Amino acid sequence: MKPGPFEYHAPHTVADVTALLAEHGDECKPLAGGQSLVPMLALRLTGFPHLVDLNRVDGLSGVERSNGTLVIGAITRQRVLERDPQIAEAVPLLARAAPLIGHFQIRNRGTVGGSLAHADPASELPAVALALGATFDVAGPNGTRSIAAADFFTGTWSTALEPDEIVTAVSFPVRGERTGSAIHEMARRHGDFAIAGAVANMSLDAAGRVSAAAISLFGVASTPVRATGAEAALVGAAPADINTLEIGRLALADQEPTDDIHATGPQRARIAAHVTGIVVARALEEAGR
Amino acid sequence: MTTTDAGSAGRFVGQSVRRKEDPRLLTGRGTYVDDMSLPGMLHACFVRSNVAHGRIVSIDCDAARAVDGVVAVLTGTELNVGRGSMQPTLMFEDAANVAVQPLTEGTVLFVGDPVALVVAESRAVAEDAAELVEVNIDMLEAVVGFDAALLEGAPLVHPDKGANVGQDMPVIMPGWDEIKADAAHVVSATFNQHRQTNVPMETRGIVASFDPASGELHAYLSTQNPHEARLVLSRVTGVPEHLVRVTARDVGGGFGQKMFLFRDEQTIGAAAVYLGRSIKWIEDRRENLIASNHARADRTTVELALDADGKLLGAFVDEVEDAGAWPLGSMGGAAPAVGAYFTGAYKLPFLSWHARAVWTNTCQRGAYRGPWMMETTAREQMVDYAARAIGMDPWEWRRRNVVKDADLPYTTPMFMTYDDSISPDATLEQAAQVIDYDAFRAEQRRAFESEGRLLGVGLSLYIEPCAMGMMDPLSTETANVRVMPSGKVSVALGTGSHGQGLETTMAQVVAEELGIDIDDVIVVQGDTASSPFGRGTGGSGSAIIGANACRLASAAVRDKAFAIAAQLMEAAANDLEVSDGRITVKGTPARGIDFAEVARVAYLETAKLPEGMEASLEATHTYKAPPVTWANACHACTVEVDRYTGLVKILRYVVSEDCGKMINPAIVDGQIAGGVVQGIGGVLFEHMIYDPDGNPLATTFMDYLLPTAAEIPTIEIHHIETPAPNPGGHKGVGEGGAIGAPACVFNAVADALALLDVTITDQPLGPREVLDALMAAGH
Ligand SMILES: Cc1cc2nc3c(=O)[nH]c(=O)nc-3n(C[C@H](O)[C@H](O)[C@H](O)COP(=O)(O)OP(=O)(O)OC[C@H]3O[C@@H](n4cnc5c(N)ncnc54)[C@H](O)[C@@H]3O)c2cc1C
Repeated sequence: MKPGPFEYHAPHTVADVTALLAEHGDECKPLAGGQSLVPMLALRLTGFPHLVDLNRVDGLSGVERSNGTLVIGAITRQRVLERDPQIAEAVPLLARAAPLIGHFQIRNRGTVGGSLAHADPASELPAVALALGATFDVAGPNGTRSIAAADFFTGTWSTALEPDEIVTAVSFPVRGERTGSAIHEMARRHGDFAIAGAVANMSLDAAGRVSAAAISLFGVASTPVRATGAEAALVGAAPADINTLEIGRLALADQEPTDDIHATGPQRARIAAHVTGIVVARALEEAGR
Repeated sequence: MTTTDAGSAGRFVGQSVRRKEDPRLLTGRGTYVDDMSLPGMLHACFVRSNVAHGRIVSIDCDAARAVDGVVAVLTGTELNVGRGSMQPTLMFEDAANVAVQPLTEGTVLFVGDPVALVVAESRAVAEDAAELVEVNIDMLEAVVGFDAALLEGAPLVHPDKGANVGQDMPVIMPGWDEIKADAAHVVSATFNQHRQTNVPMETRGIVASFDPASGELHAYLSTQNPHEARLVLSRVTGVPEHLVRVTARDVGGGFGQKMFLFRDEQTIGAAAVYLGRSIKWIEDRRENLIASNHARADRTTVELALDADGKLLGAFVDEVEDAGAWPLGSMGGAAPAVGAYFTGAYKLPFLSWHARAVWTNTCQRGAYRGPWMMETTAREQMVDYAARAIGMDPWEWRRRNVVKDADLPYTTPMFMTYDDSISPDATLEQAAQVIDYDAFRAEQRRAFESEGRLLGVGLSLYIEPCAMGMMDPLSTETANVRVMPSGKVSVALGTGSHGQGLETTMAQVVAEELGIDIDDVIVVQGDTASSPFGRGTGGSGSAIIGANACRLASAAVRDKAFAIAAQLMEAAANDLEVSDGRITVKGTPARGIDFAEVARVAYLETAKLPEGMEASLEATHTYKAPPVTWANACHACTVEVDRYTGLVKILRYVVSEDCGKMINPAIVDGQIAGGVVQGIGGVLFEHMIYDPDGNPLATTFMDYLLPTAAEIPTIEIHHIETPAPNPGGHKGVGEGGAIGAPACVFNAVADALALLDVTITDQPLGPREVLDALMAAGH
C-alpha cells in the first residue's frame, strides 16, 4: 500500500496552484486533508504524477461572518465546524453535521473544501450545502467565479469544477428567524459513511405555518438530492398537521437508490424515508421553539 | 463490570497481577516484525491473481525487471524447483493431498493466489514493479459457494481429485429412523454461518535472512508457534533444522492465523535462500483480507427428535464446510469436529453426522479462534429454533436437557466422557439469573405490545474441548526454569504469546511455586535459539500445558533448592518451606536462608553442595496434556432490533464461565471479552463476501467492518471455578468467548424477530439481512 511515484508541489498562492493545475492537466490533483485522496493513492485505485498541496496556500483557511453570510475557507478543517462557537451560532447545521463525518482524527485533517470537492454521494457536507443553498467560490487560471450548490454536484465524485480550478471558500446563509434544522443518518458503525441520511431546514411564518422547507438526502443517488415534492407538501402546512412518516415516503418517491453490500436499493429508500421523517420533525420542533 | 471470585488464590496464582508486557506495549516499545531492519535488507511484494479461476497463459516480467531498484522478479519457474512440503507438521495430508507450491503455476485458484514475487530495494519500488508484471490468464468458470461446489457437473477446483468434495466423513449410527418414528416432534433446519477472517492488528510478516557462508537462515516472524515455523521453513527450503532460527518478539494478534506458518511467509524464506539475501515482507491489509486465511463458512443441517416434554431423543447433523482453494494445514478440517462435539452440554441419547468439506475458488480456510465452533453455533441456534417450534421457552428447554451435576460423569454418544469438573447447569442458571431472564421477558412483551418495539433475549451454552492431548505436536510443552547465581529466574518456553499475557501468567506460576517475587522472574519465549521445542500458543492450551510444565519444572528446582538449603542449614529438606524469597524451617521462621543465597552457592560455592549433587540450579520439564480438558460457559444477551433500519443494538451481554482455576482473573476476563467482541463482530458486522465470479467484495476496512468500542456493550463476566484434573486445575479460556457469542447474539435477534413471526436461520445479521427478513414477511 504505497502510492505510485508522484511529484509533490507545495505552492503558496492560489495563482501558483491554478498555474500548476493548468500546466499538468489531468496528470495533476490538488491535495487538501488527504483523507480521501491518500487512501485512494495508497490502494493504487488512482494515481497522479503531480500533487499540488493546498495546505500552505495563503488565505484558504478561516471563518468569517458578514452580511448574513458565513464564509468558510476551503482548507478549514472539518473539526473547526464542530468546535467554533461562531459557526454553531450562525449555521448550527454545520456543527451538527461535522461529528457524523468519520472519526475525530479524520476531521482533524479533513477539510471542508475537500469534502465538498470530493463529492462522495454519502457525504454529509454536500447535502448540508445543498439544503442551505451554499455558494462555492472557485478560482482558476483565468480568474474566479461562483457556483451555486444546486449546480455544483454533477455525479459520484464529480463536480462542476474544471480540472484546473479549485474551491477557495464556501458561503452559507446565516440561520434566519423561526428556523430549525437537523441532520440524521443511518450508518452501520459509529464513524462510517452513511447508508442513507437526510438534512432538513425549516422556517415558520408568524402564524406558525411552514414558510420555507428544504430537505436534502444523501446516500440515495449519485449526488445529494433535494426532495422537492416533500418540500412542496410542507410549505403552508401547520406543524401539527404534518405526518412526518408520510413526508419521508414522499421524499423518496422519485428516488431509486442502488444496491451495495451493505444495503439494497429498496432498503436504502426505506431507511432514507425513516431518517427524513426524523429530521423534519426535529427541524420543525426547533423552528417552533 | 466484572465480578470475580478468585476462590483459593495464592500469592500470585489467582491474582490479577498487572501484565508484565503492558508497559512496553502501551508506550510503543513493542517490537513487531516491521520494526526489524537488517543491513542490506530487500523488500518483497507479491503479484497475485486478480481472477478467481483461470489458466496462466504467460507471465511477462521484463518491464518489472527493468525498473531501477528491482533485484529479482521470481515466478514458480525459479522458486518452485525442488521444494519440500509446505504443509504444517500437524497435517492431515490424506484428506487434503493437494500439493502447494510457493508460487502458483498452471492454474490460479482464487483472487489473491500468488503468481510472482518482486524483490526490490524498497517496498515502494517493489509495488511499482509489481504493477508492471503482466499476467495473462485465460478465465475459467469459478466455483463459489456450497451450491456451486456440490452441483452435478460443476467445474473442478482440483481436477486431478475428481470432485470438489475433498473430505467426506459419514458417522452414521443405526436406528435414527426408528427414533424419529417414535418421537413426539422432529424438527429440522439448515443454518449458514458466513465467511469471516481473523484480522490480527499486525498482519503477517517476515524478515528472512540467509547467510550463504554459514548456511544459516534466520527468520523474524509474527508467529504463534516459533518451533513449528522453524520445522516448516527447514522442510521448504532444505536448510537443516539446526541451521534455521526463528525469532518472534511481540505478536500483534493471530487468533489462529499465525499458528501454522503459511505459504507466503515460507515463500519469502525460500526466496531469501534462493537469492542469498535478507528480505522483508509485511503483508498489507488488502492481502491480509483476501489472501491470508478465511474462516467459518459452514452450512449445517440439524435434525432433532424430541419427546413430548421437549427432551432430546437424538440428532442428525449434516455439516459442509467451504475449504477454499488450497489446503492450510488440513483441508478445512473442522467439519468432523462439528459432528463429534455436537452433543455440547445436553443429554443426547443418539447422534449421527455427516461431515464434508468442499474446494471452492476462494481464499483458503484456516483456523480462527474456535475453528470448529459451528458445533455450538448450529446446536444452540437449533435449540432455540426447536423450542420455538414446539412452543417452549428456550431457557426452559435448556433446563430440561442440560447435563446436571448428578449426571456426571456423562458419556456422549460419540464416546467422550465429561468428568465431574464441568458445570454447565450452574453457568446456565447464573447467566439467566444475571440477565434477569423472566423480568426481561415481561419487558419484551410490554415494549412490543405498547410500542411495537422488537426486543429479544438469547442464550448460548457450550462445553469446549481444550488443549488436545491426542494431537502431537500440540499436546506437549517444555519449560526450562533456570535460576541465575543472583537468585533471579528465567523461564524458557516454546509458546508464542500473541496477546495472552503469557510473560505474566507463566511468571506467576513460577514465582508461586518457587516462593519468590514475580519481579524476579522473566519469561523468555519466541526464539528457537533459546527455548525448548514447544507447541506454540493455540487451541486454548497454554494455561493447561504451559503452566503445568512451568509448575513441574519449578517444583524440581524447588526440591533441589531445598536439598541445598537443608545441607547449609543442617535441617531436613522435607521440613523446609519457601516464601518471600526465604527458605525456612516449618514452624521456626527464624531459621532460614535466602533463596538467592542458595542460588549463589549452587554456582559459586559448589564445594558446599551436598555430596554428589550437580552444580547449578535449573530444571527442564515437559508436560503432556490429558487427552482433552473440558471448559464450559453460558452466554446471555439482550438486544433491540430497529425495525425501520435493521440495526441491532446489544443492550446487555453476560458471560458465566468455568475455566477451572484461574491464574490471572484480569487476563481471563480479557480473553473472554476479546472472544465475545469477535463473536459479536462476526454476527453483526464482519462478512467476507464474494460475488458469484469469485471477486472478494470486502477488500478494505471500509467494507470488512470490525466492531469498535462504540458498538460493544459492557461485557459482564462471572466465574464459576471448578478445578480440572491436572496439577494446576486449569482449563482453556482463549477461544471460548468466540465460540459462545455468535449463537447468543443470533438467538437474541431471532427471538426479537419472532415477535413478528419472522424466522431467520442464516448469519450474518447486518441491517441488510435483517431488513431482508422483515421485508420478505411484509413488514
Ligand atoms: C475512515 C474514514 C471515514 C470517513 N468517513 C466520512 C464520513 O462519514 N463522511 C464524510 O463526508 N467523509 C468521510 N470521510 C472522508 C473525509 O471526510 C475526507 O476528509 C473528505 O472526503 C476529503 O477531504 P480532504 O480534505 O481530506 O481532501 P483530500 O483527500 O485531500 O482530497 C479529496 C479530493 O478532493 C479534491 N480537493 C480537495 N480540496 C479541494 C479544493 N479546495 N478544490 C478542489 N478540489 C479539492 C482533491 O483533489 C481530491 O480529489 C472519511 C474518511 C475516512 C478515511
